[in-house]
Amino acid sequence: MKQIPKSTWIKIRKKHFFPPLPFPKVKKGQERAALEIKDKQIYIDENFLSQISKKMQENDAIEALLDHAIAHYTFCPWDFATYLKLYAEAKKVSKDKDIAKRATDYFMDVVVDTYCVKEKESNIPSLYKYMEKGKIEQVMCALYQKIWGKDLNVSGFDELVRKLMRIPYINKKRWKEGIRRFTHILKPLLEEQIYQPASSPFGGHRSLFSKDSIDKGLMELALSSSSPQAFGELVNDFKEELKEKGFFGNEVGRGRGQESMANILYYMKLAQRYTLSLKKLPEKKSGSIYPHSHSPWEIEKPYQDIDIWTSFGKFLPGLTQVWNRREGEILYLEEKVPNCLIIIDSSGSMTDPRRNLSYAVLGAACACEAYLKHGSKVAVYNFSDAEVGGKYLLPFTQDRIAIYKSLCKYFGGGTYLRPTDIKFFECDDMDIFFITDMKISNFSDVVSYFNNIENRVTAVHIGESIHSQRFALSVSKKNNISLYHVQKREDIPKIVLGKVKEYLHQAF
Amino acid sequence: MKNPFFEFKDFRPKKREIPLDKIIASKEKVMDALIKAYDRLVEQEAKELVWLVSYHSVIRAYANAEKSIKDMQYGVEDIEEFLFEIENPSRLPYPIMGLCGLYISALCNHIKEKEIVLDLQNKNINLHLLGYRLPKGKRLIVYGDLGDFTGIGLNGGELLVEGNAGNWTGAGMRMGKIVVKKNVGRRTGEDMVGGEIYVEGKILGVGNVRYGRIYEKGGIVSP
Amino acid sequence: MRKSLKNIYDFISDHLYFYRPDLEINGEKYNSTLLFSLLTTVVQGKQLIVGEPGLGKTTSAEYICSVFYQIPLGTIWLSEVAGHPEQTEEKIVGRPNLGLLNKGIESVVWSNFVQLPVKIVDEINRLPETKQSIILDGVDRGNWQYLNEMFTNDEYCLFATANYQDLGTFTIIPPMLDRFDVMVESKHPGANISYLIASFYKKDELLRHEKYERELNKLLNDSKLSYEIKMERIEKVYANFSKHLEKMGLQPISKQKRKAIRNKIEDMELDLDANAFLRTLISELSFCYKYGQKRANEKCEEGCHFTGYLCHSIKNCISNRFPISVKLYAKALAWFLGDKQVNVEHIKTVAPYALSHRLQWKEEFIAIYEKETRVDPLPIYLAKVAVDKVLERYGEQRESIKEALAVAYDISQGKQIAPLEGDHPIYWEIKRDLGGL
Repeated sequence: MKQIPKSTWIKIRKKHFFPPLPFPKVKKGQERAALEIKDKQIYIDENFLSQISKKMQENDAIEALLDHAIAHYTFCPWDFATYLKLYAEAKKVSKDKDIAKRATDYFMDVVVDTYCVKEKESNIPSLYKYMEKGKIEQVMCALYQKIWGKDLNVSGFDELVRKLMRIPYINKKRWKEGIRRFTHILKPLLEEQIYQPASSPFGGHRSLFSKDSIDKGLMELALSSSSPQAFGELVNDFKEELKEKGFFGNEVGRGRGQESMANILYYMKLAQRYTLSLKKLPEKKSGSIYPHSHSPWEIEKPYQDIDIWTSFGKFLPGLTQVWNRREGEILYLEEKVPNCLIIIDSSGSMTDPRRNLSYAVLGAACACEAYLKHGSKVAVYNFSDAEVGGKYLLPFTQDRIAIYKSLCKYFGGGTYLRPTDIKFFECDDMDIFFITDMKISNFSDVVSYFNNIENRVTAVHIGESIHSQRFALSVSKKNNISLYHVQKREDIPKIVLGKVKEYLHQAF
Repeated sequence: MKNPFFEFKDFRPKKREIPLDKIIASKEKVMDALIKAYDRLVEQEAKELVWLVSYHSVIRAYANAEKSIKDMQYGVEDIEEFLFEIENPSRLPYPIMGLCGLYISALCNHIKEKEIVLDLQNKNINLHLLGYRLPKGKRLIVYGDLGDFTGIGLNGGELLVEGNAGNWTGAGMRMGKIVVKKNVGRRTGEDMVGGEIYVEGKILGVGNVRYGRIYEKGGIVSP
Repeated sequence: MRKSLKNIYDFISDHLYFYRPDLEINGEKYNSTLLFSLLTTVVQGKQLIVGEPGLGKTTSAEYICSVFYQIPLGTIWLSEVAGHPEQTEEKIVGRPNLGLLNKGIESVVWSNFVQLPVKIVDEINRLPETKQSIILDGVDRGNWQYLNEMFTNDEYCLFATANYQDLGTFTIIPPMLDRFDVMVESKHPGANISYLIASFYKKDELLRHEKYERELNKLLNDSKLSYEIKMERIEKVYANFSKHLEKMGLQPISKQKRKAIRNKIEDMELDLDANAFLRTLISELSFCYKYGQKRANEKCEEGCHFTGYLCHSIKNCISNRFPISVKLYAKALAWFLGDKQVNVEHIKTVAPYALSHRLQWKEEFIAIYEKETRVDPLPIYLAKVAVDKVLERYGEQRESIKEALAVAYDISQGKQIAPLEGDHPIYWEIKRDLGGL
């Protein structure tokens, strides 16, 4: 098996400003792709190398391939979030996910190759000149001839090239409009070639990304998506790839209030953005004070705490030491963060979390993340018209997916909360997180229930109404109940985390 | 105190250029000029960003559009790209579709190419007044849907719409040919004095045609 | 001389400190703890070593110091300061000569900790702040004071260790942490190497020598000898011990050679990219558009234009000790690797270790990265992520940033030109330096 010379790798790394990538390897691939990049590991195909080295210096070919591979990490797309943004723009034009994916792949290749040729004085043009090319690669080469000023042995495609060459490939800020135009221009050709296997000589780009990069990408996508639907549309296009990385569990079946994994992923990623990071302090003060450390004695200071042993039996300023005392620390059973019951309203007056961003689900998700992070369990009582079965009860669990599935359920019916259902969860060690718009038909029962419990309750109401004012008035005398009002998305993490943070500090 | 920038005193940046840079630079120049001209037109015509279509306002706006693009050097690709810029709020914050249509019509009418193809598919724009006074010898092919007043005042050219057109299609046309592959709206051919309109889909309503012919799905509907 | 240093590294890794490499530079793999410890001894720095109990935090420092300074291991053990609350200045720095004190004469018996160039403090976080301060002041200046007497170290370096279990009650406050040049983690070497360590549990014997340890102990505790004579005799013992080390295949480095190495390192220069990159990094860690600079008690404004930069992810402002540490260690690293100049890779390698203990990250930033797969502890990992991000941004506009700095020079020399504009904080900092904002 061939090896890549170390000096070549050092040279290329220096050229690209020392990317955090492992030493590339040569291996026998099965497809005709010259490169495979999987989770940051670059593989160069041995067969391709043997073929191309008949026409150009092997080392030059290796350098060119490495330039291309590294530029995918250092320039385009850099991470999964950027890839998704590019893909989203391509899909707006193509309306078809396979065409959008191919267009994105080709666009990224043009970007990185042009970047390498311009900024890194790469041998990539020679590679294109001598490698085998399908129809689209010939169009790309014709384009490269124009924009790089190099002869790549390709003729024709003048009209396409005339349009393609006007796209500012290296300007990152204009990639979004660039890929739209690129897809628009290439769409007929891509449609023609749709049934041909993807023939990019540099291989596909789907396995470029590690799980962490995908996770971050999904988080950014959730933040920037206009709605859960928009998020879901994109994410579903990458279902297979995400499943491979373990992001999609089993899809749920049909039924009232069911939700999709994409929806769950949306709220999960949004909530994870606001996760608390608190540290436990497993100590308690004993109440008594004990000698702890020394400090120099000064004449005005009292003499009772002088340590005659460390003072060498002398009463001299600068030599004599006194004991500083502090409260002793005793170990005892660790205080755990209590479990949390989330009561969430999914009646018709609440936002449908599948269509638009639901503050209720997001708020509940943030609270859920905070408790799970500290090893506590979370239960969910999702209610609409509980009297006629519009409810879902999830017992205490640490299964994140199950919790999110329960939170994302949307019944959209009337609003009736059965306090007797809550008794199903009751235990001493339990916080309650209650999120609703307070438009509950049996409002007085609910108020009466909360007035009679001693658990710590965080009640969050969405929007302003007379009911929320009544609730506030009814529970105003209760010290264990805190009421918050959410008007915009940014309020949620601040309120939720603020109060929960207080709780968690109080635990210690 | 020692000069904190001392180590960089002899640094001179390396400017590496490839043909793409020149292409983009010259294209940007043309695009800037086109956008500037359009902005001038909006300033002249639209009071508080409102522009109402009327017989006189269209004539005046078109005349102003012609004035603003006079002596400008541009190609078909520039017009196509201008269509993309209409969707870009950072470049064109005030796209008034009627004025855009007139402006693009002026650009098409004055370009040296005989055939112009514009692709409006997958674009979030609904151009009105496209094809205004398209002269003889010019062929304008549009992929996608158009808005109202398509091809009004056509002056001998050929307008082919591979999609739908709105109301008042071909109104006031003098001569030439309009072909619409899908449907058109009401008042089609209103006040037309010559030429032909072929609609391969449905016509919602025919206007008051003076002279000229209108065909629907191959059959003549006017006269 | 470079070969001798490499020889020390190889010797320790082959015979004494077994590890998995966790750092790659110039195609070579190194262990961060060992490498930075070696550099710390060379540059006379201050290193904080963290890690789980029993993973070689203290022993790695002991081995490096023993071989570098040619001091028997037993003597080093006797000079270590253990971190516990009852530590006193007398145990750390020195005590009065009790016999002379009773005669009314002040005379100091200096501790081994002060007299030896090697300063190792075990579990420094368990020392009260005042004692931490005494140690850090002494090492900073190379001067120790007690009862109006002064002791000066020709050479010195500090290694302090801290356990993770104590990190939750980490009582090294930020101003103290800031005084350390670098922080590294002594990692678990993995099951197989750990098993190997068990087979070599007597490896300490390699660096022990009973005779020389006794001689040194006697000399160090002899308060009657004058300082010059004492040091002369101590150096002789070191020289004898170095002959013992030579028999094991080591190439010990004499005091003169160590000085020469330091001079060579001092003369190393940063290339323009390394220079500009470091400035770019500092600018992101100190800049605030709204309030002039970062401050720990001031929160970022909502919708600030600079949310994409590190200044938005941290709470505090980076200190001026940071560039000193980075430059020092980067120069040492470049010299060690045989490079002619300090380049971006050296800065990129060193910066996270010089940064990790100096930054207070915002919760939102931590939340994004804490769940990622990593081999480093979270503070070092976050610092590496941060440095990589800045490097990416620098890479995109390096010519422009260098040009901005060149133009700034021209302006400062009186040329009537406008400073270069750009989004990045470095452009704003340049304008401020030129009196623009």
